[in-house]
Amino acid sequence: MTLETLIQLIITGISMGSIYGLVALGFVVIYKATGVFNLAQGEFLMVGTYVAWTFLSLFKLPVWLGIVLTIAVMIALGFGLERFPLRPMIGQSILSLIMVTIALGAVLMGVATLFWSPYYAPVLPRILPEQDVVLFGVKYPGLLIWGFLIVLILTAIFGLMFRYTRIGLNMRAVAESQHVAQSMGIRVTRVTAQSWAVAAVTAAAGGIILGLMRGVDFALVNLGIKAIPAALVGGLESIPGALIGGILIGVIESLTGGYLGQGLKDITPFVIMMIVLFIKPYGIFGLERIERV
Amino acid sequence: MGLPCGVFSNQYGKDIAVIRTRQQWMMLAGLFVVLCALPFIPLIKGGIYFVSALCITIIAVQGLNIITGYCGLISLGHAAFMAVGAYTSGILAKQLGLPFWICLPLAGISAGAVGIIFGLPSVRVKGFYLALSTLAAQFIITYIIYTPASTLTGGIIAMPVPLARLGNIVFNTETEWYFIIMPMTVLMTFFAKNLARTNTGRVFVAVRDNDLAAEVMGTNIFRYKILAFFIGCFYAGIAGSLWAHYQGAISVDDFTLRNSIWYVGMLIVGGMGSAVGVIFGATFIRILELITNIAAPVIAHAIPLISFQIGASLTQIVFGLVLIVFLVLEPRGLAHGWEIFKSSYRLWPFSY
Repeated sequence: MTLETLIQLIITGISMGSIYGLVALGFVVIYKATGVFNLAQGEFLMVGTYVAWTFLSLFKLPVWLGIVLTIAVMIALGFGLERFPLRPMIGQSILSLIMVTIALGAVLMGVATLFWSPYYAPVLPRILPEQDVVLFGVKYPGLLIWGFLIVLILTAIFGLMFRYTRIGLNMRAVAESQHVAQSMGIRVTRVTAQSWAVAAVTAAAGGIILGLMRGVDFALVNLGIKAIPAALVGGLESIPGALIGGILIGVIESLTGGYLGQGLKDITPFVIMMIVLFIKPYGIFGLERIERV
Repeated sequence: MGLPCGVFSNQYGKDIAVIRTRQQWMMLAGLFVVLCALPFIPLIKGGIYFVSALCITIIAVQGLNIITGYCGLISLGHAAFMAVGAYTSGILAKQLGLPFWICLPLAGISAGAVGIIFGLPSVRVKGFYLALSTLAAQFIITYIIYTPASTLTGGIIAMPVPLARLGNIVFNTETEWYFIIMPMTVLMTFFAKNLARTNTGRVFVAVRDNDLAAEVMGTNIFRYKILAFFIGCFYAGIAGSLWAHYQGAISVDDFTLRNSIWYVGMLIVGGMGSAVGVIFGATFIRILELITNIAAPVIAHAIPLISFQIGASLTQIVFGLVLIVFLVLEPRGLAHGWEIFKSSYRLWPFSY
């Protein structure tokens, strides 16, 4: 293997990993604001991609309108799901919270199958430039680079939103303590709904970029599962951590795929996750929870 | 636990007994008669496959109940541990020619050992993080069966498993298998029920309710968490081994993440921390699955537009909705309803 291959693998890994990072961002936003880990994130991603496909390819709407409508649908989905079944789950056990998101995933998957499975191998229209980009003397598919840039921009937007806007401040307050936030006049239910909407939108964004690269299908759900190790490695409470964790997972996965074989590639994230759970369970930037009696 | 009027215990042993009145003994005997007669009742005879498969599921979920219900450790990889048992049993029977009766416990032990490996992170993490460890187990075990071990397991192709035999009797009919699986289920349920009443079971519950408090009171919580994983996965291994020999062929598709999730769903629907709840939950979900399988073609016939995909989607939607409804409305599951029914039956006509 030459140096060129190595660089190519690393850059592919970074751009792939940044998409994991974007999906992981969805996990982090919900976890930060509500303490729920949304295992239906993969289904969100798949549904978001199919919604975008419906607007862009099936209805043949202009790109900007299609994207705006997709975002609107995902925000509505996030708000709707907060109302039911998530609001009654406040204060329930961790198992209930995990299972309710899994059940949600099953329902979303079933509904998506009902609507979209008759369409054979749907493809999104080309909304990103696809010319090869030359970097360090190596050519890369344009989609990888553009996707990476979009992810960077989105992460920056969400990071700044958390840091500087009223909504972000509310979310951080709710994450700190729901009770205190409530007594200070923050509507916890609305903040929860907003964080679910943010997660749904990030999932759709990641899904659209992936859909452009490899077509739209139900296997997109697996990408949501692969983003779990990314969120964990970065630390469940950290927004930059999600992106860094995602890139780390993407690069290691790409290198394993390149040097050790494609089969091993798919489980590498989970092996890394096991190692992280043994060595540093709260991730690189996560908060270590210290229990006091 | 309330008792009918006039029944008093004068010994401690009598007080903690599960079955305490003559009526309960008679009902238990009746249950055994019904269980033994089941394959000979004309209506059920054809569906005995369903009953046997249900029994295997019950064994697996009893194991999950020990891990999740009693000890409070969330496992999202139970089907993978079942796969370990199934493949261990299948490989031992096929490659070494060991009889089924030896493969069965060995399958349990191997699944238990693998369970310990993936339970090890419980020394440092709990709750959600531990769930992730078992989720990783699901993918890593499936991968190992698919690729590095494919010379032994056959990889993607289903692996044939030799028939079980005892002396000259070869077990190859549904009824014969029922009489292996049903007593095993009764036995395993009996152990699961009684485990919760032993010292170990009480420590499990203490760890679930507050592991910090349990540790302060002097229990070695790590040891007990690992023990819970071993026992629970042992159950999964036994269920897997039974499934392998009963089916005669196994493939990884029998043990997917979806199956693992369904087992947790059964536990929630039935009610966690209750041996009888497991039976309710497994039966409820399996019957629901049966009904959707019957209903899907009917709906497909009525609405031709969705005839192609209704089968795949209906089961998912129904399962998800049922789970959500139980989580929101009755988190204690069917077992709780059963307790209410029993006490109001006992107090009738003054139930309030």
